[in-house]
Amino acid sequence: MIKVLIAKPGLDGHDRGAKIIARALRDAGMEVIYTGIRQTPDQIVQTAIDEDVDAIGISILSGAHMKLIPRILELLKENNSNVPIFVGGIISEEDADKMKKMGIIEIYGPGTPTSVVIEGIKGYFEHASV
Amino acid sequence: MQVSDSQILDGVRAGDRKSFAKLLSICEDDSVRANHLISNLEKRTAHVVGITGSPGVGKSSIINAILDKSIDKKIGVIAIDPSSPFTGGSLLGDRIRMQSHATSKNFFIRSFASRGALGGLSPSIFETCDAFETFKVDAVFIETVGVGQSDVEIVNVADTVVVLISPDGGDEVQMMKAGLMEIADFFVINKADNPISKGLLSKLRNILEMWKKDVPIFLTNSITGEGIENLIKALDKRFSSILESGMLAQKRQKRVTSHAQSILRKKIDDILQNVKTDQLDLEEIQKEVMKEICGNL
Repeated sequence: MIKVLIAKPGLDGHDRGAKIIARALRDAGMEVIYTGIRQTPDQIVQTAIDEDVDAIGISILSGAHMKLIPRILELLKENNSNVPIFVGGIISEEDADKMKKMGIIEIYGPGTPTSVVIEGIKGYFEHASV
Repeated sequence: MQVSDSQILDGVRAGDRKSFAKLLSICEDDSVRANHLISNLEKRTAHVVGITGSPGVGKSSIINAILDKSIDKKIGVIAIDPSSPFTGGSLLGDRIRMQSHATSKNFFIRSFASRGALGGLSPSIFETCDAFETFKVDAVFIETVGVGQSDVEIVNVADTVVVLISPDGGDEVQMMKAGLMEIADFFVINKADNPISKGLLSKLRNILEMWKKDVPIFLTNSITGEGIENLIKALDKRFSSILESGMLAQKRQKRVTSHAQSILRKKIDDILQNVKTDQLDLEEIQKEVMKEICGNL
């Protein structure tokens, strides 16, 4: 059973994408924790730890990803956690490359079919064989 | 990531959240290992409070309101949402109402999927409650799935059952039905700002009088916090009184039986999944299962 946290950090309230992903992952047989909009990096990381999730999906449409994502990674590191992170939102190719170098597993842009996200997460765990 | 038993035991003893979170995952995935770990940890009796009622009645919100006014207590929250019978997947959304407490050091909120368990709880509920007692919390709040009238399993787990009713929940015949309405130690009429609430209060009083039942009723509003302090006081008072009267000990003894029942049911389910039933009739299937059980002794 794959347990995923779908979190939306920052100030934008556009949660349709996060909700669609949460629902799609649920229908793919995963247990999905959805925490709603305007979460701080601290809330996201503490929730991921308390819930002992296998993966975190972050939805960002505000443009603040280069501030928020590094902070989340930093907090996870402080907590000795190496939970894989997937990101979805409006993110330039340049920033996507930078984020991958930081350790983000995959970045999904607008128009990505939900099946691609599902395969991405499932595939990660098959290869990682955890 | 595999974590060893000794790492978890040391971590939980030291009050480490991450180790405790792992212990809860083990409760969900491997009850045998969980029970073994728990038996090696010191427990402290916590007040286990079940919060139940139909969907949207305000179960998560009232727990959030209780947390708002309990910052000096150590509290665990077990929030259960349904698993899909088709895909096994689940959308766990109870936390949304409590996220302002996600980083509180004194609170530990954990979401559980019902994973096929009936009656509004999760299959690992007994292990999970025991685990929270090893984490030395003062109280555990269990939020049931909330399918409504048949959410009665909670009575076998909780020391105190709080049934939430909302002003839009139907007429008094709904309140006369068996099941949910019978298991309440406390009734809470939530959404007190709704003008129908007062009418509901008197209807409920009448019905309880008819049943000759003395169940306290609270009127609350989770958003403004109205009535919440009264409810907390009454919960604390009840906990000390059932502790002193020996009722708690009785309930806990009954819980052991219910726990055993749940383990046995799980075993039978596992056996049934492995027995090739396609060629067998009703009698033969039962015999096969019994044979397996006896072989396991």
